[in-house]
Amino acid sequence: MTMNKSVRRVILLASLAAGIAGLAMAHHSYAAFDVTTEKVIVGSIKKFDWSNPHTWAWIDVPNEQGGVDTWGVEGMSPNYLARRGWSRTTLKPGDKLTVTIRPMKDGSKGGMWVTAKRPTGEILLMGGTITDP
Amino acid sequence: MHSPRQIVFGFLIASLALATSANAQSAGQRVVRKAPTAADWDAIAKLPDFTGVWEAGGGGGGGGGGGRAAAPAAAQAGTRGGAAPATGAPAARGGGRAGGRGGAGRGGPSLTPEYAAKAKATPPPAAEENLTANCLPPGLPGIMTQPYPYEFLLTPGQVTIISEAYTEVRHIYTDGRPLPEDPDPNFYGTSVGHWDGNTLVVDTVGFAQVPRGLNFPYSDKLKVTERFQLTDPDTMSIETTITDPLALTAPYSMGTRTLRRHRNWTIAEYICEENNRNGVDENGKAHINLANPEASPK
Repeated sequence: MTMNKSVRRVILLASLAAGIAGLAMAHHSYAAFDVTTEKVIVGSIKKFDWSNPHTWAWIDVPNEQGGVDTWGVEGMSPNYLARRGWSRTTLKPGDKLTVTIRPMKDGSKGGMWVTAKRPTGEILLMGGTITDP
Repeated sequence: MHSPRQIVFGFLIASLALATSANAQSAGQRVVRKAPTAADWDAIAKLPDFTGVWEAGGGGGGGGGGGRAAAPAAAQAGTRGGAAPATGAPAARGGGRAGGRGGAGRGGPSLTPEYAAKAKATPPPAAEENLTANCLPPGLPGIMTQPYPYEFLLTPGQVTIISEAYTEVRHIYTDGRPLPEDPDPNFYGTSVGHWDGNTLVVDTVGFAQVPRGLNFPYSDKLKVTERFQLTDPDTMSIETTITDPLALTAPYSMGTRTLRRHRNWTIAEYICEENNRNGVDENGKAHINLANPEASPK
């Protein structure tokens, strides 16, 4: 079955919106994140915490000083993600990713996962439609 | 003159009488359950099939909230997304706002003058003051507006609801017992239910001032009434109404939430304390701990 690309995108966005709203209600209000803006970080997975109440993707990002900063990106919880195609091995150490986040208000190196892209072009949303009916 | 044996026997009889009396007294407080019979189980088989795992999903109705919002707005769901009662814990301190944002498009609760004054005196906590960020679970009705699944279990004399979020459990007694007159206030209250045709009607009383997703001040006379029914074989509607003779001038409808059954789902573990990096400090300020990634459990 084929689906119009824009239609699919709308569905994905709607699912993402629902997911974000749901997570906020489930646990907290995202008050520490600046939800009015987005930031893109490029790096590789250092560690992926498949844990409650949130997953955490720890991403090593090269900095301007020639070193590496580790960014913490908060994501949806395993129970939610597992019903939407994710598993604890979806992100493995060394995986290269371009991640869009809603950054921390205080400027510290972290944020909330919005979407990510692998070098292959694969998009990694944390909303998405339920894959396990 | 009685023989020692007679005296001992008399003492035993007296003790037994005392013990029986104590049991009878406690029976007034606690219902002693009989072992279920085959007929009891047969009776359950004739009830609407509520069993299994259910979830509201995106746009799942009044309490579900959020599903229709655009992404940036939805990301602020704690402050404005969805139905107000669905937000985590603004009533943690008995505060809240008069009127509120209402449930599913309704006008919000109508507060008595006394409670309107209370609402005014205690400004509504900001979204970031949500104590559930510290893994404190929400009480009723907030427990029923979570975005995660619920499992329903029907056994003789009881309906049990397991909420995946925070691994919360509700016990609804359907054995005919009355609501307690002076229950200890707690998170979920004390629930009794009865079947009105194909609708499970649940009344709950006995609420402490803890996070429960209400954005207005309420008294210890708060009562929550829920009506659960199947609207098609895999769809359940839950209509929730709140009364409070001290705080509300009229019953407050939280609207109807719709759950869908997922027959191949099981409830997942959700131990909030496992790796919680979110929190709210004593001043109500939200924070996130980004230090020491290696400290997280997995």
